[in-house]
Amino acid sequence: MELIVSLVGVPCLAALLMLIARADRARDAITVISAVCIGVLSIAFAAVYLKEGATYIALPDSCANPLGLACFFVEIAIGACILAYAIRYKRMLAASLAIVQIVIAIWLETSLLDGHAFSTQIRIDELTVIMVLIIGIVGSGICVYALGYMKDFQRYHADCKDRRPVFFALMFVFLGAMFTIVFSDNMLLIYAAWEVTTLCSFLLIGFTKTGEAIDNAFRQIVMNMLGGIAFQAAIVLAAVNGLPLVFSEFLMAGALSADTAAAGLFAVPIVLLAFAGMTKAAQMPFHTWLLGAMVAPTPTSALLHSSTMVKAGVFLLIKLSPLFLVFPIASGMVVLVGGLTFLFSSFLAISQSNAKRVLAYSTIANLGLITACAGVGTPEAIWAAIFLVIFHAVAKSLLFLCVGTAEHRIGSRDIEDMDELFERMPRLARFMMLGIMVMFIAPFGMLVSKWAALSSFAATGHVVLLVLLAFGSAATFMFWGKWLGKLAGIAAHRPSEEVKVSRAEWTAIALMAALAVACCIGMPFISSSSVEPYLAGVYGAAAPVIGFDNMAIMGIVSAFIVAVIFGTLGKAKKNIVPVYMAGITVDSSKRTFKGSFGQAREATSRNWYLEGIFGEKRLDKPATAITAAVLVVGIVASVFTGASVDAASLSLYIQAVSLHESAFATLAGIVAFLVIGPVLGCLLAGVDRIVSARMQGRVGPPLLQPYYDVRKLIAKDDASVNTVEGTYVTMALVFTLIAGGVFFGGGNFLMCVFLVTLSALFFVLAAYSSRSTYAEIGADREILQVMSYEPMILFVAIGMMLAVGTFDVAGLFQSELPMIVAAWPIFIGLLFVLTIKLRKSPFDLSYSHHAHQELVKGVTTEMSGRTLAKVEVMHWCENVLFMAWIAMFFICSEPVSVVLGAIAAVLVYLFEIWIDNNFARVKWQACLKWAWIVSLVAGFVNILGLVLYIVFM
Amino acid sequence: MSSVSKSPWVIHYDGSSCNGCDIEVLAALTPLYDVERFGIINTGNPKHADIFLVTGSVNEQNIDVVKEIYDQMLEPKVVVACGICACSAGIFHDCYNIIGGVDEAIPVDVYVPGCAVRPEAIIDGVVQGLAILEEKSKKLAASRKKGR
Repeated sequence: MELIVSLVGVPCLAALLMLIARADRARDAITVISAVCIGVLSIAFAAVYLKEGATYIALPDSCANPLGLACFFVEIAIGACILAYAIRYKRMLAASLAIVQIVIAIWLETSLLDGHAFSTQIRIDELTVIMVLIIGIVGSGICVYALGYMKDFQRYHADCKDRRPVFFALMFVFLGAMFTIVFSDNMLLIYAAWEVTTLCSFLLIGFTKTGEAIDNAFRQIVMNMLGGIAFQAAIVLAAVNGLPLVFSEFLMAGALSADTAAAGLFAVPIVLLAFAGMTKAAQMPFHTWLLGAMVAPTPTSALLHSSTMVKAGVFLLIKLSPLFLVFPIASGMVVLVGGLTFLFSSFLAISQSNAKRVLAYSTIANLGLITACAGVGTPEAIWAAIFLVIFHAVAKSLLFLCVGTAEHRIGSRDIEDMDELFERMPRLARFMMLGIMVMFIAPFGMLVSKWAALSSFAATGHVVLLVLLAFGSAATFMFWGKWLGKLAGIAAHRPSEEVKVSRAEWTAIALMAALAVACCIGMPFISSSSVEPYLAGVYGAAAPVIGFDNMAIMGIVSAFIVAVIFGTLGKAKKNIVPVYMAGITVDSSKRTFKGSFGQAREATSRNWYLEGIFGEKRLDKPATAITAAVLVVGIVASVFTGASVDAASLSLYIQAVSLHESAFATLAGIVAFLVIGPVLGCLLAGVDRIVSARMQGRVGPPLLQPYYDVRKLIAKDDASVNTVEGTYVTMALVFTLIAGGVFFGGGNFLMCVFLVTLSALFFVLAAYSSRSTYAEIGADREILQVMSYEPMILFVAIGMMLAVGTFDVAGLFQSELPMIVAAWPIFIGLLFVLTIKLRKSPFDLSYSHHAHQELVKGVTTEMSGRTLAKVEVMHWCENVLFMAWIAMFFICSEPVSVVLGAIAAVLVYLFEIWIDNNFARVKWQACLKWAWIVSLVAGFVNILGLVLYIVFM
Repeated sequence: MSSVSKSPWVIHYDGSSCNGCDIEVLAALTPLYDVERFGIINTGNPKHADIFLVTGSVNEQNIDVVKEIYDQMLEPKVVVACGICACSAGIFHDCYNIIGGVDEAIPVDVYVPGCAVRPEAIIDGVVQGLAILEEKSKKLAASRKKGR
């Protein structure tokens, strides 16, 4: 109990002290001391309460009554404060909302709640502990970071009044309010703290008091007050109808009310609470407030995005999730809004060059995914949602802190200006790269959570959500990948600019990075110590969606990547040579060449933003309209149908059985693939060349020609355009081998797919690191190709799950019929995207084996000798793996089916060669368009058909 | 024969030729001559190539380009001058802008005369180049060993 009081009290005390202390040094001391206090307290809190399970704490009446009054006064004060600001800046909408809020609060307090007693005030469970750790460690880390940042900020804005005391006070109040939200079980108390966070973020967004800041602050307040009023309305309805106002009892009663008359009473409050959660979590159509919040100083953004504010929204939704299982309309609304938000925000992020806006869109997208998981409401989905919350908090705060520091050193938050950050700010760039990787790529936590989300969506047959997720994830790869590429460039070997970064900033950044890595590696332990007990408490039983071994493998691979990035990357000794400029180089380090009039011209390239396809102008309005429509329909339907809708038990709920999740099998698979991959792949490549030659009426090279090529490349002189390219390519090769190992070890197909994507990322990074225009264009195209084929590959996995009942390759040997019977449309789709994956014409955009490549070999332009040899071997292995994917469709419990699979793979390979030789290369637009159309049609139709078949047959 | 000579990758650069020799170089890739039988590929990228096939002579405009391509090729590498213009500037040798044969810019290993040079001659030249490539490769391996 003392811990709880001090966790809320220390931030509030710190905030008060901030307002008094004016000197820099006093502020530094207070901030550091309180941050450390909060951190230590939250760890102590975790240590105490994690063992106890759900704990209820009732306050004595002497405490409870003043607390109720305090809540009331806080609500009124907030309303009055907002009203005052609204009148001062003449914002009528905000003013009227504030008045509505005050009126409801007074009504509630004086008539409805008169004499209402709460049995408990505080409830603590494992989810609370997780949230406390996030708020306590990440949140206070950001406060420490703000010390250094705000000094620079004040220096750059010397003409502004120094309002840092207010800033820091608000940051700490924010933490206090967040603690209150996660602790309290009293809905009024939750609501009061909820409004405190709204007000704090309003003041923080408007901190600079520029016109833009004021506008955005008011946008935030209007949207969040809508949510706040929905929250109030839910409380009012609950009070009027005599539903419990203790949140845990409310949830319990709601879940039990299924199929009874009481369900009608719960339907509307639940949908209103979900609405409140979604406004706070910045779901479309309310995403604009979070984008507008970017005008605030970066620590504010970091705080809003990672540990507070938006996390309050998803926290509420996760709490509500058991109810979504029994209220289908609310569930459908939340799932659709979340899924659409994920899709559209991921698309929109592609079109942004402002780093903070990319981060904002990515936050909205991830919150959308969490929201969708909460809406699905099964234990598996919530498992994914909680992990998404954890990883998003640590990775996003790390990224915001990095971007903030970079902004002050390079004077811009534009991604284009972060060009060559790898050499300008070597340490910071590595941290940023780590943050980005944790956000979107396996083996890091965020993607493992996404993997769990995908499994749970597939298991419950959420067809539309699966489609949204598949396309959204593909877009995620594009916008993170190209940003990583910008950072990774190395050209002039410039001196480091990061000497002036303050110690406070480094400490916070390093803390976030350490947390992110620790969470990735410790994922199985977090799962077994807190997430699973929480789910067991709420749902009665829960097993992790992803088994211990798979999580452990991912943890090991994460540790390996981190070790390479911070250990050996850039330390290789190499004979450095200039890049290829297709003409006369003037100065390779400046990337200048002799132009047609003899003058020096710089070769530059920008990232792809694809504004014509994914731009805000094009997508923002439809996205807002569609999601708003979903919300309106959801709320109206809840109001009118009320109790008349039967509580739906899930129509489809597959318990995914894991047959073959063992690290040992994977290890054996890797050893096997180390032999099969290169040998078979080399022969396949030889066959390809001979068959191609025969089709052209030639004899062609010997069968072992690819092997001779690689041997020659190894014997060539060792030279490279930089010191990192070789390392990246080696990693790409290693990950391909692991992916093959997972597949041939009978492991999880999705994991194999993610590792192949990881390998593609490192391959692309190798090209970007050269910062040569040709290699960069190749890399851009490669990223686009990954985005083109990724949805279809995910559909293959989903189809496998629905057809065979497992993601494990070993499970295929237990099914009576081969997958092709149930998933032939997906098979056709896979054939289509396989042409892209094998880089065969007409889709050999990023690089090709033929001499007619117009971009001097795209991605591999700067690679030579051993590096190129590794690339060749990697492609052999990839080809074998892809052919094995084809064979997978034909395998069943009959042993003979393996032969059938092999024959099918050979036939498909020959078919691909035939396509390669008969079609001319298309433009990238056509590649993206057709790949997505085919994926959408084949994937959607097939998955829908399978789900319907399972449900009705 | 070591692996080097089984997989000679070529980069072709057209200096100031009349395009006659270039057509013949491409002809060597066609089914009739099919140089891929010997593992020869036209890479179009100096960093991947082992053999530099130059057609046409060197002039003021392209001398630096020829030098740069040569510099960017990794050891071991061989230069084959294809056609009489590449060997000695041929009928253009008196032109005001012509510097001379390719050897004015970079060291040439094999000279293949002809106007235009016949595909058989090109193949012959490349095969001669392979022997030189082999030798250079051995030297490189030896120096690498010494370096360690």
